[in-house]
Amino acid sequence: MHPGPLAASDLASYLPVGLILLMAVGFAAANIFLSRIIGPSRPGGVVKGQTYESGMNPVGTARKRFNVRFYLIAMVFLVFDVEIVFLYPWAATFPNLSPGTDEGLVWLGRIFFFLFTTVVAYLYGFRKGVFKFD
Amino acid sequence: MIDRIEFLWPEIALFVTTCVVMVLGLSRRIESRRMTALVTGLGLIIAGVLAARTTPIPGPRSGQVLLPELIPYAKVLIASVGSLLLLLQAGTVDRAEEAAIAAGQRPYDPLRTNRAEYYAFFLFSLTGLMLCASADDLIWLFLALELTSLPTYIMVAMSTGRARSREAGVKYFFLGALGAAVFLYGFALIYGGTGSTNLNAIHAHLAAHGLNLTALAGFILAFLGLCFKIAAVPMHFYAADVYQGAAPQVSAFLAFVPKAAGFISILLLTATIGWSYAADAQGPLYTPITQSAYDALEGAVSMGLPEPIRVFLWVIAALTMTVGNVLAILQKSVKRILAYSSIAHSGYMLVAVLAGPNNGTFSQSGLAAVLFYLLVYGVGNLGAFAVLACLEGRPDADGEPAEIEDVDDIRGLWKTRPLLAWVMTLSCLGLMGLPPLLGFFGKLPLFTSGLAAGEIVLVVILGLNSAVAAYYYLRLIKASLIDPPSDADLPATPTPFATRTLAGVLSAAGVVVLAFVGGGLMDRSERAARYTSMMAVAPPPPPRKTPYVPGDDTPFPLPIPIGAR
Repeated sequence: MHPGPLAASDLASYLPVGLILLMAVGFAAANIFLSRIIGPSRPGGVVKGQTYESGMNPVGTARKRFNVRFYLIAMVFLVFDVEIVFLYPWAATFPNLSPGTDEGLVWLGRIFFFLFTTVVAYLYGFRKGVFKFD
Repeated sequence: MIDRIEFLWPEIALFVTTCVVMVLGLSRRIESRRMTALVTGLGLIIAGVLAARTTPIPGPRSGQVLLPELIPYAKVLIASVGSLLLLLQAGTVDRAEEAAIAAGQRPYDPLRTNRAEYYAFFLFSLTGLMLCASADDLIWLFLALELTSLPTYIMVAMSTGRARSREAGVKYFFLGALGAAVFLYGFALIYGGTGSTNLNAIHAHLAAHGLNLTALAGFILAFLGLCFKIAAVPMHFYAADVYQGAAPQVSAFLAFVPKAAGFISILLLTATIGWSYAADAQGPLYTPITQSAYDALEGAVSMGLPEPIRVFLWVIAALTMTVGNVLAILQKSVKRILAYSSIAHSGYMLVAVLAGPNNGTFSQSGLAAVLFYLLVYGVGNLGAFAVLACLEGRPDADGEPAEIEDVDDIRGLWKTRPLLAWVMTLSCLGLMGLPPLLGFFGKLPLFTSGLAAGEIVLVVILGLNSAVAAYYYLRLIKASLIDPPSDADLPATPTPFATRTLAGVLSAAGVVVLAFVGGGLMDRSERAARYTSMMAVAPPPPPRKTPYVPGDDTPFPLPIPIGAR
């Protein structure tokens, strides 16, 4: 179907989505309601109220300080990520450029400029001490 | 192969400058770190020159079919006001840190120095603003608007060391995200209603089929979200708190950059809808006026935006002017007064957006009025904030030099700092719109374009509000120029950064000088507002069967400029 305008009648095609939404909400509500009615109710002791951590006894508090380095590494990873995301469409288009012209060179120059900006991002990260593990 | 990139050289220049600044600002040598501001200024000047040399080609290649001449004007304006803003930013972020390093109290630590980021964010935001002006696609527009806004959230938070600034940054970020969500939803609905994200294709679709309900809802939501950027009434709540929490030089930045982005986007979207619609008697749809119908109706029917959008923007404009001015009267803090006055100015400009292009001359075209007023407002507002940035008191509990807070703090400025008193006076008179100054020549076309479009009631509201605004501007002038100096404990000491004073003096001079030599600027803005519409082409083009292909040179019949008919 070509991406034409959405007429009012087209809204009918969203009916299945609406039905699924209704079913999802209904299923959740019914389960809560049913477990309240037919589920056994035994107020538990100390162990039952504890936080479940893969079967281990919980240690310490949840309000623990994390090293900010984890976030820095995540950010540096994002630079790689975005780079790859842009490189894919570029690589997919490159063979289709008109042969015999200098179009290919122009496109190559552009992607090198883009890679250069990534290098700047890394230089910046390096100077800020992102890669310093002490 | 010619493509869009030749219209993007100013943005590319700014981006390369950003890269240089990011590396340079982290240098171990203080001389190199000091270079960052200079390099930033150089980049802005180069971007401005490149923008001035851009020759717009009307057609899909430049990206702008509807407002083909907008790019050079908007980008030169952005580069010029951006350079003035840059002068104001000296010593904003790392003053205490650099002082400690110079005194040998602390070794140089790249992690603690944030000058590089500050100037990089400054440039990123201006790059986003320029990209807004080049936008021809809803997705492009959204990304450009976000690139404009995201750095400003951080600039607000890091502008001073006070908790108040961080609070302002967080408030601004969350409300900004809300605004972005609203206009993004609007964009999605516009796509749903017209089948394209390309503004030209949307315009062609609307010209052929009129405005359906889905697209109408989309446009209303998009305008509502953009109201956040221009601080117009339903989305204005953040303005006073954020402007007050940020350092004055950052408030000056906020008062111009996101507002300019919002107005450029609003102009692009209203141009996409077109100003030559007529309400359809058959139902809620709005049919476009074609050439033959236009000739038949000319003079008999006033053209305008589709009625629901007109009413929506009408109400927002009237409320924004009134709320902004009335609340400004009630404020004690200078920054809050200026924040509410900036809200009111958004309302004034919305009047001209409603007026539309009319016959395209400077006195009648609302588009030209908005584009010229952006300059007028940018210069006047910068001067007023520059005075605040130039004055500081003893360091307070946070270790930051105290800022000008109340109107009482600038009392007797004529005795202590006569130059700044005059800068404040001229800027306020300029914002007020007093006849011999630039503000008057900016405000006059807002009135005349509104009248030409037949918005009499709105123009009356605009006139009343201008009178109300005079009260608080005169209050600022009286405090700085007439009142005796106060013996309060905040002696307004000069800032050690001379460029801040220079920025103020240049803006005040601009308010006076541009009023006398600004004729060329008016011509430029009239040219920039040249609007071409496909509504006037008869018969309307058939709906597009294939998605828009970038580089496709002949997707639409070339439109006839409205003025040329």
